[in-house]
Amino acid sequence: MSVALLGHAATTAVPLAFDTQLKIGQPLILGIVQGAIYGLIGLGLVLLYKSNRIFNFAQAEFGTIAGLCTLLALNGRLFGISWHMPYAVAAVVGVLIGTLTAVATERLVIRPLFNRPKVILVVGTVGVLLTLIAIESLAFPQGDTLPAFNDPKQGAVTDLKDPSFRVGFAGYNVSWAQVLTLIVLVALALGAVAFFRYSRQGTAILAVSQEPTAAQAVGISVSRVSLLTWTLAGFLGSVAGLLALQSTLVGPGIVTGTALVGGITAAVLGGITSLPGAFLGGMLVGLIQTFAAANVDFRGSQSVVVGLVLLLVLLVKPTGLLGSEA
Amino acid sequence: MTRAGITARGGAYLVLGIVLFLPWFTTDFAKFCSLGAIYAMMGLSLNIVVGYTGQLSLGHQGFLGLGALVTANVVAQADLPSYVGIALGVLASAAVAIVLGLVALRITGLYLSLITLVFGSAIATSLFALPSLTNNNSGVQLVRPPYFSGNGDWYLVCVVVLLAVYYLDYRLTASKTGRALLAIKENERVAEAFGIGVTSYKLLAFALSGAIAGLAGGLYAFRSEIYSDKDFQDPQGFALALLFVVLCVVGGLGNRLGVVVAGVFFGILNDLLDRLFGIGWVKDVVENIPLLKGYYGANKGSLASLIGSLLLLQTLLFNPGGIGGQLRPLSRWMTGNRFELHEAAESGPAAVEGSSVRA
Amino acid sequence: MSVLEVTDLSIRFGGLQALAGLTLTVNEFEIVGLIGPNGAGKTTAFNCITGFYTADTGSVVYRGRDVTRTPPHKKAAMGFGRTFQNVGMVKSSTVLDNLKTAQHARVRYDAGAGLLGGSRVTAEERALEQKSDAILELLGLTEVRDLRVGGLSYGTLKLLELGCALATEPDILLLDEPSSGMGPEESHQLGERLLDLRKAFGLTMLLIEHHVPLVLSVCDHVYVLNFGQLLAEGEPTVIQTHPEVVAAYLGGEAPEALAQTHETAEDEALDDQLAHKPAVKKAPAKKAPAKKTASRAKKDPS
Repeated sequence: MSVALLGHAATTAVPLAFDTQLKIGQPLILGIVQGAIYGLIGLGLVLLYKSNRIFNFAQAEFGTIAGLCTLLALNGRLFGISWHMPYAVAAVVGVLIGTLTAVATERLVIRPLFNRPKVILVVGTVGVLLTLIAIESLAFPQGDTLPAFNDPKQGAVTDLKDPSFRVGFAGYNVSWAQVLTLIVLVALALGAVAFFRYSRQGTAILAVSQEPTAAQAVGISVSRVSLLTWTLAGFLGSVAGLLALQSTLVGPGIVTGTALVGGITAAVLGGITSLPGAFLGGMLVGLIQTFAAANVDFRGSQSVVVGLVLLLVLLVKPTGLLGSEA
Repeated sequence: MTRAGITARGGAYLVLGIVLFLPWFTTDFAKFCSLGAIYAMMGLSLNIVVGYTGQLSLGHQGFLGLGALVTANVVAQADLPSYVGIALGVLASAAVAIVLGLVALRITGLYLSLITLVFGSAIATSLFALPSLTNNNSGVQLVRPPYFSGNGDWYLVCVVVLLAVYYLDYRLTASKTGRALLAIKENERVAEAFGIGVTSYKLLAFALSGAIAGLAGGLYAFRSEIYSDKDFQDPQGFALALLFVVLCVVGGLGNRLGVVVAGVFFGILNDLLDRLFGIGWVKDVVENIPLLKGYYGANKGSLASLIGSLLLLQTLLFNPGGIGGQLRPLSRWMTGNRFELHEAAESGPAAVEGSSVRA
Repeated sequence: MSVLEVTDLSIRFGGLQALAGLTLTVNEFEIVGLIGPNGAGKTTAFNCITGFYTADTGSVVYRGRDVTRTPPHKKAAMGFGRTFQNVGMVKSSTVLDNLKTAQHARVRYDAGAGLLGGSRVTAEERALEQKSDAILELLGLTEVRDLRVGGLSYGTLKLLELGCALATEPDILLLDEPSSGMGPEESHQLGERLLDLRKAFGLTMLLIEHHVPLVLSVCDHVYVLNFGQLLAEGEPTVIQTHPEVVAAYLGGEAPEALAQTHETAEDEALDDQLAHKPAVKKAPAKKAPAKKTASRAKKDPS
């Protein structure tokens, strides 16, 4: 009902070019799900940027690592021993290894470069990204399809055994993977807000982001906080990657290729330092992309439209939608 | 300089010239060497933006592709001479770079990097893939100009153009433009107080960078004898953009000799690895090494990419001057100074990096 | 005809009236001082005059030409040389390169010719170098010629910055606290030097200065600013005992109070804010600077 209303409003607003063909419903659902993934990637980026002014180009790639390792855990074979883990266990293993990759990045690359110009740190994360992709393509030359979490062959975690099962919504179909993505996003979003508002560690991160010297003076260890933020960011990236890769052919660099630009745009649109802004930005980017793809008829319309929106926002309001600084 | 010194340096230049000429005798290898020269030009082009204006561009493959696109279509579809095609490719790239430069006047640092990133992928998915410009997605075939039809011949063309670009870059740093760009990079207000028009010099830097990349693009199209947008679509396009960043950093930010050496290295690396890993006993050994054996599995470029990224991290962590910093005693000697391994430490490229590259 | 004529210059930053109707005149061959407590708007006045800020109202006339809206780099080419409060130089370059950079507007080849090179460009570059060497010799700084600016001491930097300003071949020199970081002896020497330079190059100068003996010894005329407004003007000796000036510095003899004020980071923060780089952590305290000075003067009535 509400979807239909929206469609009506839009057709009256844009009477000329698209009035009969403007597609609203399905892009809306797709856009929200896609946006949720961008939002999660953006969340990790904002977290790192907030705590130490680092922009992490490897953020999405933690997700690829998580996806590949989940695959490996589901059906692995090493030194003649083969195993099949249940999906839930495999997913935990994947997310764990993805998070550990982030921790290793912090220890081996970020920490030694801590006091160098920020552009060097950014280039450092680019180096990590390239290294990860190269190792992935050497270790998993073929790639494989990650089954949906409720695929019956994989010992599904729920009773929803049929992967093609979809719930109806305003005349459009939503898959369980999409529902799961949304649930996890909302849970993580609330978790992140609660973490920063109520936990000691969360407050410490905020303190370091606002006044590094003063935070040190009151006994907050900047290096511990850095490790903590990278762990959190790695966790978020890994979860986002797993969600994005449901029923997808997983290959080297896949999450970076599909979600990095969207995640960065989400973070910047939201104002680079605002956690809620990153969610909002992610949703916005997801919606713009899917609407553009469905309604603007030329190749590459998705990235062009997103690029133009980004440029416009940066020129008109450089602090983003919810940000407090440029 | 003594007589012996002049003779020694003359000999060194002669050897360098001969080495540069050697690939002409080969066919396949020459094609990789011309790719090396083209990468070196891209490195110099990106170096103007990163090293001299202090902004990080992650969309430079867009200019390379634009040069290739315009050149290929002008030559193959409009049937104009090849030099006209290359010239138009240069102009088109420079024009688009100026537009990006206008954006850079308002937006700097990280946000500009992001915009260049989106620019690179947006121009590839939209303009580069237009069926009318890609011969309905089957690629635009083009024939090299007469006298330069062989791989070796085209390699020599690439080398000569590279030397010209190298000279241009040298002049840039040796003239008032280079001083103006450095002043702008460090402190725009000081630059203005010195009478430097910040706007025009920033745009000039972007235009030059775009022009060089467009030139490289034209050479690239003729090198492959076909223009196809596939080279510039993500993820290859993004990988290319990052490769240019890698070779700038590994070569040494702001150091033109280092950047050129790194460019050539990454251009021919794939071929070198291919030859090395193709040897029978090497293959036998490598196939038993866990990670490396993946080389024979799928994408052969991934090993080169791994080497590149590890070199990048190594440069950042342990060797901020890059290749250029290592070669500095040699390059100083070649330009008529004394050979000193440890010259006054303060003029190295590390100092350039330490100044104020922003992001 | 006067060299510089500033009429009714006003600028407002948000709620802060940084300058309110400043009017001043600098005549040919004059050295004019601009003094006042911290946050009085002196550096803001400089930035308006040199074009870094665009004033809300008022005009700046240079030798009969209205240059109120001329951008700073064009003003530099016209003959406005300036120095900055916290040393404006290219820190990663050598001293020589800084002096060559400062001559930018005087270079007699265009950017394109510079890229192509050739004997004319080479000759011009050599000329730039010779002029730089001449300036270094004049300032007695030849030994630092090839050193990187970043590593030099503050006093040397202040002097070098003056050299850079001279290298722009100015007609009028605007100096923002040239003696900061110098001891009494050095600033006395600086005074002598400024007088010599005026004679040698036929310069006109406008300077912000806190060091009272220097103001007394070199300035022909002094303007006093307070809260963005012109408080008084006149000959240095008159200003020294001017009742309102004394009151502005709260008690005591004006000179002593003057001697104790030091420009702080406040003006800089204001600069940053205007350059679209929000100084997030240190929003400028609006009226605090002037008060701080006042209380400092009160506590220490030497």
